[in-house]
Amino acid sequence: MTGNLAFLLFLIPFTIAIATPMVGLRYCRLCRPLTVAGLGLMCVISLVSYRQVLLSGPIEYQLSGWPAPYGILWVLDGLSGLLMIALSGIGLIALVFSGPVEPRHLGARIVPYYTLISMLISALTGITLSADLFNVFVFLEVGALCSYGLVGIGGGRALISAFRYLILGTIGASIYLLGVGYLYAATGTLNMQDLALRLPEAYDSKTVLIGLTFLFIGLAIKMALVPMHGWLPDAYTHAPDAVSPLLASLVTKVALYTVIRITFWVLGAGAVLENIPMLLLLNVGGILATVVGAFLALTQRDLKRMFAYGGISHVGLILMGVTLGNERGFAGGLFYLVNDAVMQASLFFVAGTALALSRASDLDQLPRLRGQTAWLHATLIVMAMSMIGIPPTGGFFGKWYIVLAAIEVGNWAAVAAVLAATLLTMGYFVRIIEKLLLERGTGAAGSDLAPVETPLAIRMSMGVLTATILALGIFSDKVMTMILGSAIPSGL
Amino acid sequence: MLEALYSRPNFVTFIILFLWGFYIMVTHHNLIKKLIGMYLVQTSVLLFFVTTGAKTGSTVPILLSTATEIDPATYANPLPHVLVLTAIVVSVATLGVSLALTLAIYRQYGSLEEDEILGRME
Repeated sequence: MTGNLAFLLFLIPFTIAIATPMVGLRYCRLCRPLTVAGLGLMCVISLVSYRQVLLSGPIEYQLSGWPAPYGILWVLDGLSGLLMIALSGIGLIALVFSGPVEPRHLGARIVPYYTLISMLISALTGITLSADLFNVFVFLEVGALCSYGLVGIGGGRALISAFRYLILGTIGASIYLLGVGYLYAATGTLNMQDLALRLPEAYDSKTVLIGLTFLFIGLAIKMALVPMHGWLPDAYTHAPDAVSPLLASLVTKVALYTVIRITFWVLGAGAVLENIPMLLLLNVGGILATVVGAFLALTQRDLKRMFAYGGISHVGLILMGVTLGNERGFAGGLFYLVNDAVMQASLFFVAGTALALSRASDLDQLPRLRGQTAWLHATLIVMAMSMIGIPPTGGFFGKWYIVLAAIEVGNWAAVAAVLAATLLTMGYFVRIIEKLLLERGTGAAGSDLAPVETPLAIRMSMGVLTATILALGIFSDKVMTMILGSAIPSGL
Repeated sequence: MLEALYSRPNFVTFIILFLWGFYIMVTHHNLIKKLIGMYLVQTSVLLFFVTTGAKTGSTVPILLSTATEIDPATYANPLPHVLVLTAIVVSVATLGVSLALTLAIYRQYGSLEEDEILGRME
């Protein structure tokens, strides 16, 4: 019975994605409640199954009942369970948020819009749970196709961004597939657990090394690791306001999760440390992305673009933390991954609300937001604290654990990168806060604008995420203990 | 070195196709040509998969009888072909979405040249 939970998590959004066009044909208005209900159910099941994982170990599901090396295996363990909670929870909140700002001009085309969202969630679930390299490729592509559609659905400039995203995303996927081909040629298996058994014999083989290189380059494009981040800022800036929180908080994180899964569960932490400097390479890539991403964010003037670069920087930070090579760093990185998903979602909520209700997208237009309610301001300030790393927010503790772990292993470059990223992040958030609260008399200032009523759905979703980030900070001890107890790979 | 290349024409074709497609994507400004390059890259990867699954002197993996002893060496591995079939479906879907996007771009901007589109966007 419990084995079915893992597959049920995928089946819910998938069924809804299939059902939405059928229902939407007659009752266009039902699409939204249907999707919200499905994601709510998914949230509950992910919590129940995570509890099950904590109590009695990983849940495995064999597709069609074929045993592991021949059939496809899906695994829900501490790591993927944690990601599933973040995925379904943030998906649900982003959907609730998107109600008042959803692209109205779509008319009846709102039906494919909701279909794409459910399909995207189901594909991300597939990537998270599948323990088969080729299965992961298929879901990566399904999710990516949905993202291209969602970015371009609004028309206008977004079409060009979606096209570029498509070109780069497809190249990434092709290179990943090539890597899978090399690994299959070398070992004759695609199952991750089976690969983990057979790979150590072939560590000297050039085929394996080339395959892994292709695999990681492909995934690096998908997760927008500097210098392969070119597609991300345009796509997330021009995507509809309702879509960008969902994409920014989840899509790159799931690709990052795949890297973590392959690095630690297929290659194995210990073997990597000794034979191939893969862990070190990833760590250096992470350090680079952390600093460069934060620096590029500082140079932006567009709010959404600034947050997009902030996300690029954080992908690097998470990768760096996870690959430090000790348990504390790994858990700290995972903890930051959850935090970052929350932060990205709510920052894009803020940017989307600012754009939709007050027509403020640029730094200079921020004074217009003064007409908005306190909800938006409070969310922005708490998220700024978390992005910079000021207690008691979750962002602070994430960085804290990563820095502690870096000092533990004597990786001073990583410590310096975290500090540099913190200073740069402070730089761009101080500019935002300054424009928003302090600057006076900038021509058409906000004071003469009538206060804008913020819809309940937006206030609610912002409130929930702000509370989440504070709770993650206050209960960081408990969360870290839970991660340390359930999601650490063997051999670390 | 050359000997190795001559004996593996499939791999050489794969490398040429891959790099050619990549080159087209990077250098051409026409959106359709970019898509052609993208499709070449995808197809080259499929060729690589088929190549790894090729096996001379073997037959289709269908079990006719269990009476005689089964020798795995006489059967071809069906998995690479199945993977390629799935990957073809994926690449067709990608091509469909990309053509739809291109059509939408053409309707909006009246051009398929990237420079002209960027000019009209301003």
